[in-house]
Amino acid sequence: MNLLEFRSILRQTLIFPVLLLLVLAGFILWQIGQYQATLRAIDLSDEVTSEVIDLEKLVIDQETGLRGYQLTGDPVMLAPYKAAFVTIPLRFARLHQLLSDNPDQLSRLSQLQDSYQLWLGFAQGVLKKDPAIVNLPQLNQHGKQMMDNLRYEVNGLLQDEDRRRKHRSANALHFERRQVVTIVIASLAVGTLLGLFTINRLRRVSRTYSTALEELTKQSEEIYESRQWFQTTLESIGDAVMACDNDGRVTFINLVAQNLTGWSTQDALEQPLSKVFHIINEETREEVENPVEKVRRLKTVVGLANHTALISKQGKEYIIDDSAAPIYDEDGEIIGIVLVFRDVTDARRTEAALVAGEKLAVAGRLAASIAHEIHNPLDSVANLHFLLANESDTEKRAHYLHLAQQELGRTMQISRTLLSLYREPKAPVPVDLKDLAEGVLLLLERRLVQQDIRVECEFAEPSVVQGFPAELRQVFTNIVVNALEATGKGGRIRIRIDRVPADETRGSGMLVEVADSGSGISEHDRRHVFQPFYTTKGEDGTGLGLWVSMGIVQKHGGTIRIANCTDEDLRGACVQVYLPERTLANASSRSTAHVQA
Amino acid sequence: MDEMDGLRLPADSGRKPQDADLGRATTLAASPLLLCIDDEALGLQIRKAVLERAGYRVVTALDGANGLTLFWDQPVSGVVLDYFMPGMDGGQVAAEMRKRRPEVPILLLTAHINLPPEVVKMVDYTLLKGEGPQELLAKIHEMLNDSHDQAGPNRESNGGGR
Repeated sequence: MNLLEFRSILRQTLIFPVLLLLVLAGFILWQIGQYQATLRAIDLSDEVTSEVIDLEKLVIDQETGLRGYQLTGDPVMLAPYKAAFVTIPLRFARLHQLLSDNPDQLSRLSQLQDSYQLWLGFAQGVLKKDPAIVNLPQLNQHGKQMMDNLRYEVNGLLQDEDRRRKHRSANALHFERRQVVTIVIASLAVGTLLGLFTINRLRRVSRTYSTALEELTKQSEEIYESRQWFQTTLESIGDAVMACDNDGRVTFINLVAQNLTGWSTQDALEQPLSKVFHIINEETREEVENPVEKVRRLKTVVGLANHTALISKQGKEYIIDDSAAPIYDEDGEIIGIVLVFRDVTDARRTEAALVAGEKLAVAGRLAASIAHEIHNPLDSVANLHFLLANESDTEKRAHYLHLAQQELGRTMQISRTLLSLYREPKAPVPVDLKDLAEGVLLLLERRLVQQDIRVECEFAEPSVVQGFPAELRQVFTNIVVNALEATGKGGRIRIRIDRVPADETRGSGMLVEVADSGSGISEHDRRHVFQPFYTTKGEDGTGLGLWVSMGIVQKHGGTIRIANCTDEDLRGACVQVYLPERTLANASSRSTAHVQA
Repeated sequence: MDEMDGLRLPADSGRKPQDADLGRATTLAASPLLLCIDDEALGLQIRKAVLERAGYRVVTALDGANGLTLFWDQPVSGVVLDYFMPGMDGGQVAAEMRKRRPEVPILLLTAHINLPPEVVKMVDYTLLKGEGPQELLAKIHEMLNDSHDQAGPNRESNGGGR
């Protein structure tokens, strides 16, 4: 129920009783009106009775006057007679009016009037006679008879009216009783209706209220539960989690974060984040921008720069990976920031060890080939030494020495190429990719020849980029060895080095493309080959070659891609390495690959 | 040097008339003929010089196919075979040789470290390149003597026992 509904109910509970009571009042008024009508009927009867009695009295007065005149002959005695002479017709008229609704009484009245007129006729007759002879017995007898008759009629009228009055009075009494009952019933009905209505309305309100209350309780329970849930989750996860309000003051710090920062919850709460979460650049030792500021500025999830180190309260240093995200309220306003980070010191060390190990593994993979390369000329030199020791002919000796020199030169070249896998300058130097590729092919020549693999080279010149030759040689060795293993006996490998002009995404540089005639790369492998420990060579592979290669290429500011060849005659995998002419890399740059999912 | 003198013994008969060209030619015809197969041209040339100096007659081939042709055509007493070669490798060449003339001893001379065991079983001797000429000559001497002492079929068991 919303506020509007509630108001409408309030209005209903006001208007409905008022209307109901108005109806009740109307009803009662009507009842009273009815009762008054019955009372008026009684009054009418009373009035009729009193009029009839008055009339009778007047008639008796007339008669008495007439009798007095008859007895005395004195006309003074006729005063009441004459007085009634005017008022009696008025009385009759009045009675006619009063009894107009009652034909029975009306006919009686008419009869009475007739009788009176008759008597009046007689009285006028008497008055016209000589006053001395009016007091005659037969005359009196006649007058008395007429008067008795008149009296009889009056009595009939009165009796009838009395009966009528009694009837009306009983009627009124009955009506009154009935009315009381009716009014009580009506009142009860109205009261009940009102009560029921009010109860109904109140129930609705109370039901809504209790529902709302229940919901509120439930909601508050849910909120509590979800808060507990999140709190426990955040407390238990392996990553460090911190949250702060919009002013950058710490509002939450989980156990891992407490361990890493060295701040306990009690100490950390309400402290500025930059104080608790003190981060610097691992290499330059400079302060790093507070992630809270960055999030507030960018209004989005941000990751920390690489090489971020966290300095704990106790001065211990951890290399961390982290991200910060804004917390929004319903209106989309930032109300806080949550920070998730993790100690990657060990992971970083492991990565470094893996990279170093892979560097050695490249040499290891070449070992058989190298042993062969070195043993062949050494064997020749040993043989030449034997021949020289037993040869006295100067010309032949010179020839042998020349051959020995040639073979030693070859050994030196091999050993130099091998050494260059390790020796690395401090800063990037110009690297001729053509020389580099040729050096790699020289080391692999044995295997290529043995497997009868044809290598086609299309090298643009000059093909010089800035970089670290040993690392780049490692990259090309990996790629060419992969191609060699993919194509198998009698296959083909095409190595192209092209110059690429600058475009909007990258500067000018060189593109090295190694394509083979193998069976190509599956979509699944293509998506995973640059991940560490992913290998398609089973037990023979470490799964690190391409991962490390990618790290090296990325360090040089380049890109490495793998796809399938689209050429008519070459259907295997094709690896493209782009290297910019000028690199931003320095010797300490990280060469661990960042694999994008 | 004593050892080296000893090594020369089998070739002594051939080395006595070394100053006379005619004499040399006749002795050469009597000395054992060796077949050397290696794809390293320079190394092969030098090895040939060493073996000839030791008194052997030597024919050479730069790959397995040519080597096999020589093997069919020439009365070869022993083979010095490289393993790691383009086309046929040493194992395949040895297998072909065994099919026709199993009595001819084979020395596998290679810089390859992880030779497949079935290849090692098939040949009579193996030698790592770079061990020096003395070692090479000693092995060849031993190999030729063994094959002379024992009849062809028995030599097979010798090879198998290695």
